[in-house]
Amino acid sequence: MTKKNEPRPITLDPAVADLLASMEKRQAEAQMPRQQRERIVKQRIKIQSRREQRATYDLPPMLRESIRSLAEELKIPASQLVTLALIRFMRSYNAGEIDLGQYKQPSRSPRYDWNLVLTKELLNLQKKK
Amino acid sequence: MLLPIITRGDPCFTGLIRYNYQGRPLYFKVAFIYNNLLAIYGESFRMRVIAFANQKGGVGKTTCAVTLADGLARKKLRVLLIDLDPQGHAALSLGFQKSAGLYHFLSLEEPLKNLVVHARPNLDLLPGDKLTEKVKHQIALMDFRKTILSDHLTGLDYDAVILDLAPSLDVLHINGLSASDWVVIPTRLDMLSIDGVKEVLLTMAELSQSGKCYRGYSILPTFFERTTKETLSQFRELVQTFSGHVWPPIPQDASVRAASAQGKTLWETSRNTSALLGFKNGRQFQGGFNQVLERLLEVIRDEKE
Repeated sequence: MTKKNEPRPITLDPAVADLLASMEKRQAEAQMPRQQRERIVKQRIKIQSRREQRATYDLPPMLRESIRSLAEELKIPASQLVTLALIRFMRSYNAGEIDLGQYKQPSRSPRYDWNLVLTKELLNLQKKK
Repeated sequence: MLLPIITRGDPCFTGLIRYNYQGRPLYFKVAFIYNNLLAIYGESFRMRVIAFANQKGGVGKTTCAVTLADGLARKKLRVLLIDLDPQGHAALSLGFQKSAGLYHFLSLEEPLKNLVVHARPNLDLLPGDKLTEKVKHQIALMDFRKTILSDHLTGLDYDAVILDLAPSLDVLHINGLSASDWVVIPTRLDMLSIDGVKEVLLTMAELSQSGKCYRGYSILPTFFERTTKETLSQFRELVQTFSGHVWPPIPQDASVRAASAQGKTLWETSRNTSALLGFKNGRQFQGGFNQVLERLLEVIRDEKE
């Protein structure tokens, strides 16, 4: 049984909560000193300009780890490394150098006709010593 | 089970398909992705009566009622919009002339099917005009006057009945609140309009004491301006007071006026306007009639009582 003096739980509509939080944030920003405000505006513009370049894909953890460790080793951003890898793949594919047929399996998803089945051997990207 | 024949679906389109099962409407929620039926499941509905009320005028009751009624109709629900306001603006907003439909329905007991205007696909309108005033005087003299509208609505074959109430606290207003399952209270974020919200809630509380059982109510902020300090402080106070009862707000938008001037709804004139989509925040949208329509559909969906 709930206690009488316990405050009622506030379950806000998620859209209302988001809107209220964003309005509070805007007002807090408006009260900041000018320099700080300008810095935040610059940051926001930078984030917005990068939005078009962002993409989300599912990657096997092993591949993700390989990309991360290679990027660390070469001291370059992982995004640029992945971009280069994808450009090279697309060029090879368009030149007919890559055949996806050997990986294709029929898909049961209503959205896709095929799945690419990637074997463990293929995903084993450890350097040969 | 009958599966409807669907030839083409938009990517990621979701909607409802109606199917009569043993005289009872069943709804199937469907989702398509790239022309493939992804999901289909049954949901049952019974007729819900939703009142749009605020005892302060000019808060956007008629606009909200008309826009959301058409929105529900576009989701394949069969909707009846009843104008209980003698101003008769619901008819004008949908591009029709005012007429004494309500008077003929309640006072002269004429059958509804002869009086409704088929305003849009799935949307019928029972218009009102200044003769609605006469209805009030007649009802005031009758026995069981609080439930006259409710009695007249019994047995109608609609999924949702939307009542556009007048701001005055009179017998028709009480009838509207008595007949409704859910009350949506549109309000501007100013002191006078919020006082109107309080008055509606007090009236609902009084009706509840006399045995009326509501499923709930929602407060719908309208004419919302995100940038002003006053809006923020009033909105914060509204949310603190009514918490989960507050629905996402409808942004202040000139295209709403333009739509009603043309006798069309926002879904017909400007689908990309902020009043429909809400405020853009990053990739998300906050508020707007689209989100409110989702909330209203949740209200109408039967919870297997």
